[in-house]
Amino acid sequence: MTGEMKNQEKTQERDGPGIPAGGAVGGPPAVRIEGLWKRFGEQTAVHGVDLTLPAGHFIGLVGPNGAGKTTTLSMVTGLLRPDSGLVEIGGHDVWRDPVSVKSRIGVLPEGLRLFERLSGRELLAYIGRLRGLPGTEVDKRADQLLDVLDLSGSQHKLVVDYSTGMRKKIGLAAALLHNPEILFLDEPFEGVDPVSAQTIRGVLERYTASGATVIFSSHVMELVESLCDWVAVMAAGRIRAQGPLADVRGDAPSLQEAFLELVGARGRGAGQDLDWLGGGTR
Amino acid sequence: MSAEATAATTPLVPVFVRLKLTLLGNGVRQSPGRAVGYVASAFAGLLVAGLVVLGLIALRGNPHAGALAVLLIGILTLGWAAMPLFFPTGDETLDPTRLVMLPLRPRPLIRALMVTSLVGIGPVVTLAVATGAVISVANGVVAAVVGIAAVILVVLVCVTLARAVATASVRLLTSRRGRDLAVLGGLFIALGTQGFNLAVQRLGRPDSLPVLEPLGNALRWVPPASAISAVDDAGHGAYGRAAAGLALAVLALALLLWWWQRTLTTLMTAPDSSTLQALEKDSTRRSGGGQRGLARLLPDGRTGTVMLRMLRYAWRDPKSKMSWSTTLGFGLLMPFILSLQGNRSVYTALWAAGMLGAQMSNQFGQDTSAFWMVASTISTARDAYEELRARALTLALVGVPYLTLVAIAAAAFLGPWSAFPEVYGLSLALLGATVASGATASALFPYSIPSEGNKNTAAGQGSLVWGSFFAGVLAAAALISPLLGLTIGLHVAGLHGLLWIVLPAGAVYGLGIAALGLRLAAPRVAGRLPEILAAVSKG
Repeated sequence: MTGEMKNQEKTQERDGPGIPAGGAVGGPPAVRIEGLWKRFGEQTAVHGVDLTLPAGHFIGLVGPNGAGKTTTLSMVTGLLRPDSGLVEIGGHDVWRDPVSVKSRIGVLPEGLRLFERLSGRELLAYIGRLRGLPGTEVDKRADQLLDVLDLSGSQHKLVVDYSTGMRKKIGLAAALLHNPEILFLDEPFEGVDPVSAQTIRGVLERYTASGATVIFSSHVMELVESLCDWVAVMAAGRIRAQGPLADVRGDAPSLQEAFLELVGARGRGAGQDLDWLGGGTR
Repeated sequence: MSAEATAATTPLVPVFVRLKLTLLGNGVRQSPGRAVGYVASAFAGLLVAGLVVLGLIALRGNPHAGALAVLLIGILTLGWAAMPLFFPTGDETLDPTRLVMLPLRPRPLIRALMVTSLVGIGPVVTLAVATGAVISVANGVVAAVVGIAAVILVVLVCVTLARAVATASVRLLTSRRGRDLAVLGGLFIALGTQGFNLAVQRLGRPDSLPVLEPLGNALRWVPPASAISAVDDAGHGAYGRAAAGLALAVLALALLLWWWQRTLTTLMTAPDSSTLQALEKDSTRRSGGGQRGLARLLPDGRTGTVMLRMLRYAWRDPKSKMSWSTTLGFGLLMPFILSLQGNRSVYTALWAAGMLGAQMSNQFGQDTSAFWMVASTISTARDAYEELRARALTLALVGVPYLTLVAIAAAAFLGPWSAFPEVYGLSLALLGATVASGATASALFPYSIPSEGNKNTAAGQGSLVWGSFFAGVLAAAALISPLLGLTIGLHVAGLHGLLWIVLPAGAVYGLGIAALGLRLAAPRVAGRLPEILAAVSKG
């Protein structure tokens, strides 16, 4: 990141208006969340989240399993109704103005299925036409996406027979097909082999280079550190820190260290009862 | 080194039996419903077995008892062979690939798996039926001794057959095609029950047993039934034939064991199918994009896109395929089944319309959690209307020609021909009414359909499913009442010459009510997208 941010403190909770939003100075932030809550029965999954994510960045939403990342992303993308709170995407309210929002965003959710009895190509043809793109344009874009994502050889195979990496790639293609301004990816690298991961990375880097915004969740810190220039740290349904990567990392040697400190998981011993462990004799 | 020694010395049998008992126990403990289901099925199985045994004992001395006993054992064996194919998840110990990382030798493993197989309701039922079969034909001490051997052989052959079939087909069963096959298990049960019913009704009549003789004669040399006929032969002093019968059963057991061991060894040492799949070359049978063939005839935009996907799913998705085929099949058969039962009426053709229309309810449950793809493209009530209309059009595309066929067939075979216009008109109106009520139910009462296995509802949604079903039936009945009133009125007033009016009136009414239902349901769908997604993603 830029040098001016070097000496700033870690931006805890909400960041002030003084933080430069990067690429899209002046325009509305990519995502603005205020007082977002979601309870499932007794359990509070999202605990009053306030978050402002600038446009034109590669943004990582990090947190341990069960932190509320998926729940938050589902509410932001209109797939889950929040109990209370405001979500705006590019200045448009997700729940009041779905027409403006749904055409601007691309989504790759985690834990939801695709129409798996279609082939990869048929799936893209389906979702593209459903989004109202002309058929010839859909087919042209599908060709290019399948080619770039290295799926051309399997385009006529049913998605149900795809591997995890191939599913993530076809899901990414489906999310990119209508050229959204903002892309939401929930754990896009989970269970993906290194070759597919590199392909996905390449596509995402090319996409953000043109000014678009990527917001993705992950619990792999090394990945977030190498990809993102902006991060939000989530734990137990709350935002623990948000801001440019360098600020959130602060003085810690790596994002991993900073993260462990933020979520209060430092100093947990490996357990002294496992003294028999170490191979050799049984 | 010490690991090998432990593996070689630990007796496997008790470990595996304990595993099976734990799996059974955990399965039962999972939910009270499952426990009740398990106890009920165990009770039903034992009850049927008890009745069969009593019946066989009652037939003792009947000259045709041998044929029946042999036939019963034949059916039982067939059941054991088919079970692992249609219910692969029924017994988790059936899949030996789960043990592939353990240092086990084939012989002790086979012994342990065999003993494990003898634990459960199935083997007890088999034991009971085999004992009954032996009692029905055994005569004298020699026959009794042969009988004991026969019972043991029958149980062992059945159990080994099931294990060997499961092992040989485990690659298939763990693949997608195998799981698709398992979904059809429900259909298999339905057909089997119907066949069994028919057979019982036939055999319930006096003097029906001789019918079985030719079948019994053919089966008597097929193991393990040959062991049962050996008992019969031993009772009549035909010791040579008895020995041959027993020997055939023993040979079958040996061959099955050999086959099982061979496939087991191959399975445990050969690479997993997922590794092989990666090497597979994708067939590039088609190239380029765009839509070809009949798909080109579908309209542009969301309508044609959704219709194409629905039609592809009707063919490719096992759940959709099953629901379409049962709907179309039973709708066509129902009038004739009812007429066989004495309810001969041309109006039974309306069953087809009702069953077809029921396809419209829970539209989004059929999408499973992939509904998010639909939800993310619906922003307005107009989008939702187009989505629902496309689904209704898919139903009509298949349904209208089909209902025409059913109405013609009903009028031709159940008659009179003059009833055709009113039956056809009422069918179309009923289809329209069920589309309207189904679209509304899809918006207001969605529920999830598990895509694996042959269940159609996720746990805890049973009441919702039945509630939605009955509400749909009541709503459809209420919606069709004006047209029904018109038909009855014309009949009562004796204006039979005007009954043809029901046809155009039904067509127009059906179209109108369906359009109205879709219009009313669309804003509910658009406003409830997250709620629908949550409901259809359960389980």
